[in-house]
Amino acid sequence: MNSMAIEMLVPRYGIAWYPWAVQYFFLIALSYATLWLAVPGLIFGKKAWMPTARIAMLACVSTTLVGPVALLADLHQPLRFWHFYGYPAPWSWMSLGSFILPLYLGAVVVLAWMSWRPALKARSQHDDGWFSKVAGWLSWGHWEVPRPLMVLVGLGALALSLGIMVYTGAEVAIVRARPLWHTYWLPFAFVATGFIGACGLVMLLNRISQVRNAITNRQMFSVMIGACIAMGFIALTWFLDGVNAVDGSVAMALDSIKDSEQWRNTALWGGIAGIALFVIAIILRLRERLWGWGWLVGLLALHVAWMFRWVVLMDVQTVARNSAGYHNYDMAFGSYGLMGILGTFGLWIAAILLIDLFVPWRGNEARAITDKSSSSSDISTGAPSHG
Amino acid sequence: MDPIRRSLLGQLAKLTAGAALVPLSSVASAGINDQPPRRGGDPEKRYGMLIDLRRCIGCQACTVSCHIENAAPLGNFRTVVSQFEVEHEETGELATFMLPRLCNHCENPPCVPVCPVQATFQRQDGIVVVDSDRCVGCAYCVNACPYDARFINPRTQTADKCTFCAHRLEANLLPACVESCVGGARIIGDMRDPQSEISQLIEQHRGELMVLKPEKNTLPQVFYLGMDERFTTRPDGIKPAIWDVANQNGKEIGYEFDGH
Ligand code: SF4
Ligand code: SF4
Ligand code: SF4
Repeated sequence: MNSMAIEMLVPRYGIAWYPWAVQYFFLIALSYATLWLAVPGLIFGKKAWMPTARIAMLACVSTTLVGPVALLADLHQPLRFWHFYGYPAPWSWMSLGSFILPLYLGAVVVLAWMSWRPALKARSQHDDGWFSKVAGWLSWGHWEVPRPLMVLVGLGALALSLGIMVYTGAEVAIVRARPLWHTYWLPFAFVATGFIGACGLVMLLNRISQVRNAITNRQMFSVMIGACIAMGFIALTWFLDGVNAVDGSVAMALDSIKDSEQWRNTALWGGIAGIALFVIAIILRLRERLWGWGWLVGLLALHVAWMFRWVVLMDVQTVARNSAGYHNYDMAFGSYGLMGILGTFGLWIAAILLIDLFVPWRGNEARAITDKSSSSSDISTGAPSHG
Repeated sequence: MDPIRRSLLGQLAKLTAGAALVPLSSVASAGINDQPPRRGGDPEKRYGMLIDLRRCIGCQACTVSCHIENAAPLGNFRTVVSQFEVEHEETGELATFMLPRLCNHCENPPCVPVCPVQATFQRQDGIVVVDSDRCVGCAYCVNACPYDARFINPRTQTADKCTFCAHRLEANLLPACVESCVGGARIIGDMRDPQSEISQLIEQHRGELMVLKPEKNTLPQVFYLGMDERFTTRPDGIKPAIWDVANQNGKEIGYEFDGH
């Protein structure tokens, strides 16, 4: 352009999706990814994966329960949520999602309940006062859940989780109006970063819950390395598609980085954090005596998974559509901003604590071992407690 | 922007304006994210608008009258006239360029199929509307519109946008912006009626009409006459010039222009 233009008058365009949306995308990704981490132990009966499966199930149930709350809060008219079911729109990804989500939630809760039932029954026979009573109610009768039924429910939950992956990704990726979203690679990136975060969450819970299973950390390092490689591949392909002009979102991303220091910093930070995570995970995976530090890597992984969603969902909305530049979004301190984020996390922690209080999710065998390990002083190396 | 890309976009803008004029047969719903069937409105009509930029003086009478007619909350606009100050890089000559913006009532509106509860829909006369009793305020449509033509109305907490003043059209009145337009720049009418003013103007200027962001494949039905093709898409060189002015407590009290 051989002329410079300045837009003298622009209305301020606010963002349309609030941080609640980030919370939902974060929690639901942790949910489906932890479900997959629970599968080898829980469904395919791999003994070595059983401790991981127990922790993953706790993570999965808590995120599955809290995620939809954040989603509801992102609606400006949350009380009208029944309209989703009263006026379905099968051509809308969001409408499809509104049907997949409750089915998925139901499947996850039933699966968890089936997996927790033996331990609940056992606890109901102890004399633990209220806890035994609650355990008795929760286990609901003395009959056995046939294993094939549990496998069936598990496979159903897995299938529905695929639906969640596809719909959450497609919902954002089809938005042509935001070139940074409009790429085939976005759904894959959501899934890969979801697995990175889920591995981190399992390691963190492994430590906090005092289970401290070293094998779990080893397994999580391996999966996380795989997810990092996948994410690197996705990012590279996205970029190559862009330079070959197949994908407009790359040109847009490069423009953003070129024009804005804030975007440059964010991109730099994301890149460094991702690569650092990858390298640290490899180093720790190779050194058994460092496995106890998994929880720290876990925190970094959760940060990467959350940041990715923040940048994609919030920062991208600030890119102006009718001119160059950005619309400022200063996070409000109300229920639309910071309080929303903290509130969701608070609810999530409360859910975990409640489950921890009333459900012996560590399983029957773990009881004796956790009792022992919590009294032991040298635990940071994490003694393997299971096969 | 480099000249090749610019002229390509210009060609695209013209071509798409041409293609958009061929009325699409109503698309039957099939796959995900396809257009759902249209409902309501007069199937005999197709409303559209032509904006003759050569006549627009940037008075914002349309902005204000729309704001009053449709009781939009402060700070939200169904229509607005962007004003650009254009400076020639070598000669330093200054010019202003006015660009009225509103919902384009696209022939292929991306805001419609995304709506999860069918609250936003396209009528058979082409007008895209929101049923605010049904809208759940998910704001998906706000993100899906490439033109920033939608917003969440903070009072109703539902999606809000230009309706071509459908309530006025039904009473045989012109939309507020057209009625108040000082320069006579805005022309609205039924494009299926060959005798209407808009049909005749379109016929007369077919080759010169442009639409905004043709590359988004939305087939806008607001046509611009006297358009500079560089302004049809998100212009690279253009910077918004407004800064927020806040008081000591960080509360916003106004706008300030950047160096002007
Ligand atoms: S301009 Fe935006 S709101 Fe209007 S019909 Fe087109 S996509 Fe929808
Ligand atoms: S904000 Fe309302 S009109 Fe827009 S997509 Fe959501 S429910 Fe539909
Ligand atoms: S009222 Fe007419 S002349 Fe005035 S700014 Fe609006 S379109 Fe332009």
